[in-house]
Amino acid sequence: MDQRFQKEMEQLKVKVLQMAAYTDRALERALAAIANRDAELARQVIDSDRDINAMECEVDNLSLRLLALDQPVAMDLRFIVSSMRMVVDLERIGDEAVNIAEQAVLLAQLPAMSNLPDLNSLGSQVTDMYRLGVRSFRDQDPELARQVCAADSVADDLNMKVLKECMDAGAGEGGLNGLDRAIRTVIVARSMERIGDLSTNIAEACIFVVKGVSVKHHCQPF
Amino acid sequence: MTTPLKMSARNLDFYYGDFKALHAVNLDVRTNEVTALIGPSGCGKSTFLRCLNRMNDLIDIARVEGELLLDGQDIYKGGMDVVELRRRVGMVFQKPNPFPKTIFENVAYGLRVNGSSDNAFIAGQVEKSLKQAALWNEVKDRLHTNALGLSGGQQQRLCIARALAVEPEILLMDEPASALDPIATQKIEELIHELKEDLTIIIVTHSMQQAARVSDMTAFFYMGKLIEMDQTETIFTRPANKQTEDYITGRFG
Repeated sequence: MDQRFQKEMEQLKVKVLQMAAYTDRALERALAAIANRDAELARQVIDSDRDINAMECEVDNLSLRLLALDQPVAMDLRFIVSSMRMVVDLERIGDEAVNIAEQAVLLAQLPAMSNLPDLNSLGSQVTDMYRLGVRSFRDQDPELARQVCAADSVADDLNMKVLKECMDAGAGEGGLNGLDRAIRTVIVARSMERIGDLSTNIAEACIFVVKGVSVKHHCQPF
Repeated sequence: MTTPLKMSARNLDFYYGDFKALHAVNLDVRTNEVTALIGPSGCGKSTFLRCLNRMNDLIDIARVEGELLLDGQDIYKGGMDVVELRRRVGMVFQKPNPFPKTIFENVAYGLRVNGSSDNAFIAGQVEKSLKQAALWNEVKDRLHTNALGLSGGQQQRLCIARALAVEPEILLMDEPASALDPIATQKIEELIHELKEDLTIIIVTHSMQQAARVSDMTAFFYMGKLIEMDQTETIFTRPANKQTEDYITGRFG
């Protein structure tokens, strides 16, 4: 087959995975900033978002070029279309990491409160989902992807648990600061839950590439 | 909605002497659909196409086994009038091959061969066919000039008009645009879309994009075998067979 096309397809995959690595670092740092009340680390996450955005544009440009010049079909076509979708999800995960980091900056200024829920479980859950989703895409492994889809309900439940605990804590001691902190914790949990959803999208993209069926919104069984 | 079957190959084998060029091909063509035959050179797609109106009869060492049904009747069984068969199943070739006659006489040729002598009828059919072939506006003022003066794209549309004049039910097209520039190719492809309202079309093409653009069904041939046939959209987005996938993505052939 056309070696240039093959090479550019490899290049596309590498660029998507590079972007995924950048997004992974942003997510990891945002969660660490929350856990350690580290405003400086949070600011680094906010600043680094432009790199992720720039990579999305690079992938878009390369994908358009491949579509226009090579008119790919079958798995090649599905891979390019999925890459274009996947970078939108990665960019949004990057945005959610920024949202978390912005809350981390503000939360670091508020006094710590022991009665607020621990976000570590939810953070770990969505980080695992994200990494597994990216791995399923990298290895073209629909079985891994299926595990990510199945794990989404766990993230949803953990989010609801945080929400409930925050409502209880906000209504309790701590005054205005306590309420502020509770609300911001809910916002962070909501961003984490969205990262879980977006990781599910990435896993669905892997299934689409390998199996040729869309499992979004339960369109087709797999 | 599925349309009725027009042609069906049933366990069709084809031999050039001792060489078996087609192996047990089972393929259905439906009325008013465009079926594209794709595959690498030598895979048997043109041989198969030529079986459909017995063009291979012209080759001494050619032999057919199995059945080829047109509206349920086997075209290789006794009683089939080959001239009538070729009127019902017309053909357009890779290179435009107009006769060294006027544009009018090229289109009228089939009608005259079929015994028609009513000039008014012939003139009507010539105009109708040239219009169907989207050539009328370009040639209506020079119908009695030599057809060899037309451009390549116009010559090919003239050959399509010539095939249409005898009102075939099926049109076989063997790489009809491979010798044409992109604009002329586009005109042929638009024509295919329009003609399928009235006809059943079977087209051999080496251009995967062309197959994707013009056909409803696509059949992939490899080494004389029909490997996979499905809706064109399915073949080009999620083919079931690895060989089909490898061929259409350019990994072999």
